[in-house]
Amino acid sequence: MDKALATVIGMSIAYLASFLGMGLAWWSWRKRKAGSPPDEGSR
Amino acid sequence: MADFSILDWFWVTAFLLLMVGGAGFFYRLARRSESDFFLAGRGLPWWLPASSVFSTHTATDTPMWITGVIYGHGLRGLWYTFFTAWTAVGAFVSARIFRRSLAYTQAEWQSLRFSGLGAELLRGWLAGWQFFMNMFILGWVGMAMGKVCELAFGWPIWIGLVIPSLITAIYTLAAGYWGVVMGDFLQGIVAVFAILLVSMVGIFAAGGPQRVTGRIVELGEAWRLDPFAFTGWTGGEFPALWWLTMLVIAVVGGFGMGTSIDWYVEAQRIQSSRTVRDASYGLWAGGLLTLIRNAFWAASILAFFAMLPGITNSAEYELGWFRLGFELLPTGLLGVFFGALLAIHLSTISSHLNLGALYMTRDLYQRYLRPDADPKQLVRVGRAATGVLLVGSFFYGLMMEDITSWLIFALWLMMAGIWLPNILQVVWWRFNAWGYLASWIANLGASWLVVWVLPSLDVMPKIPDYLQFWMLMAIGLAVFLPATYLTRPEPLPHLVRYYVMTRPLGWWKPVHDEAVRRGLLTETKEPATNERRALIRRTWTAEQAQAWTREDWIAIVLSPVVYGCVLFGLVRVLLWQPSGFWLLALAVVLTGVIYWVIDPKLCAVSTDYEEQQAAYVARLDKQMRWEE
Repeated sequence: MDKALATVIGMSIAYLASFLGMGLAWWSWRKRKAGSPPDEGSR
Repeated sequence: MADFSILDWFWVTAFLLLMVGGAGFFYRLARRSESDFFLAGRGLPWWLPASSVFSTHTATDTPMWITGVIYGHGLRGLWYTFFTAWTAVGAFVSARIFRRSLAYTQAEWQSLRFSGLGAELLRGWLAGWQFFMNMFILGWVGMAMGKVCELAFGWPIWIGLVIPSLITAIYTLAAGYWGVVMGDFLQGIVAVFAILLVSMVGIFAAGGPQRVTGRIVELGEAWRLDPFAFTGWTGGEFPALWWLTMLVIAVVGGFGMGTSIDWYVEAQRIQSSRTVRDASYGLWAGGLLTLIRNAFWAASILAFFAMLPGITNSAEYELGWFRLGFELLPTGLLGVFFGALLAIHLSTISSHLNLGALYMTRDLYQRYLRPDADPKQLVRVGRAATGVLLVGSFFYGLMMEDITSWLIFALWLMMAGIWLPNILQVVWWRFNAWGYLASWIANLGASWLVVWVLPSLDVMPKIPDYLQFWMLMAIGLAVFLPATYLTRPEPLPHLVRYYVMTRPLGWWKPVHDEAVRRGLLTETKEPATNERRALIRRTWTAEQAQAWTREDWIAIVLSPVVYGCVLFGLVRVLLWQPSGFWLLALAVVLTGVIYWVIDPKLCAVSTDYEEQQAAYVARLDKQMRWEE
């Protein structure tokens, strides 16, 4: 496989994994905190 | 190619049977609970995490990498390996803080240090990243094993990539972290034996230590024996500013959580230690062992250079240490050597299989999908995640023909722009989840741009790696500082709870004062009368021991000095240079001083903390179920 293409595919999976993890956290947070006051830590 | 006899294959088979068979012994322990499967029940004495730190960081690609930097740069190349020195400081700072948090992973720690949505996003982000990262490491280490098997037996690369990892998966799946850490101990002994044996055989094959140095001088390459042979302040291939950058990254990095890719592995070893004191000594000794290993490798690679000085192809000279083993050892010992290479490989593979599975199980599945999962269910998910990692690593390994460029890029992604935030999150109360998250995301984009995209588009010149580090750090600072100040601090009650539990070092005064005001801490004041504090305190009350004092700073300052003395002292001893003995003697004396100064305090910290640990664990379990 072309080196540049392999690197782009490989690192894209890394970003995807991180954003998927963050998305899962976001989904779970919304599900559990539905109806409770907004997050104190954000403005 | 290596010529193996029946005796050689006997050693290899016996070693593999010992590894896989040993897993059966720990199978029952591992299936008891999530804590057993991933942390060996938090009950390990310091020498087990220490051997695990050493074994995990001794991978099949490590001798290639160290051979490459020593053959290419002489003894100054050892500074590349000195980033391990972060453990010298981390053992007395971040290990103590992290062990007291009781977090299974760095991702979990985010939700203890920070709060609210930001903390959860960070936890999910880091868990996803780490699941990938462990798969990636498994791929590149597996690839290195593929190359070694190709060198030794002429096998296709995929055999070395797949077969040893499959064998490792058997005992990692069965015995979890118990299998990993016990395997690491045995593998560590085998690996140390092989490293010493092959290195000494290499040095004497070149005519002995004095002949090695004499030959290098004859070749007009005496600079290779000088670790401080810089090529000016900024110019040349080895400028002093590069060296200073590396020192700062390593030593100051020990105050934080996350230097390069090491911290995440060390975090599991710290947390599996039975006390805070064991965690500190385990990390310290593990880091020191890796430097001792590097010294043996460095001396033998200089011997290899003395014998074969003209190799210009890095792919060829990177295999130098393996060639010493395969070409110089007699039949009968070749099997022991290959068994040791398998040990080196298995220990790294098993650690990353288990660690990656931990992030998937604890931080993604349990936290976000099934907080009420029972222990057996979690162990099953842990095993399934191990399998996914294994298969994914084969995919990555086969994609990676060129390991080095991937490795360097991944290290930048993990380091440059988040190096400072990794420290600030530990030492500065005002740093918040949004600032830390912003630094991560900014770093992903900025490192991609600065390292690859902009230079290839001729928008900016390709700059040396140490300048890339400072530039990425400055870009990160410009992003995370506004993000921190434009969002609210973490709620004080949350910070107070974290502070009382972990007692971090640094700028925490508002939080400390609030904890005192709430009656959760008592202010420790030195006696104002003629009863003066001893220069070095040897008797501690629990409350006195919680504060950061001059005893801690003595350990923090002397510890990297000991590491340096051992690394360069041992190389010099192996090359039979008298100054090496003085450096080693100094290291022994300073180690004694550190122990004398810090051990009473660590004992007091540990005793006090272990009394409260059960209550903290119960609270952590409630948090995992979203009940707090």
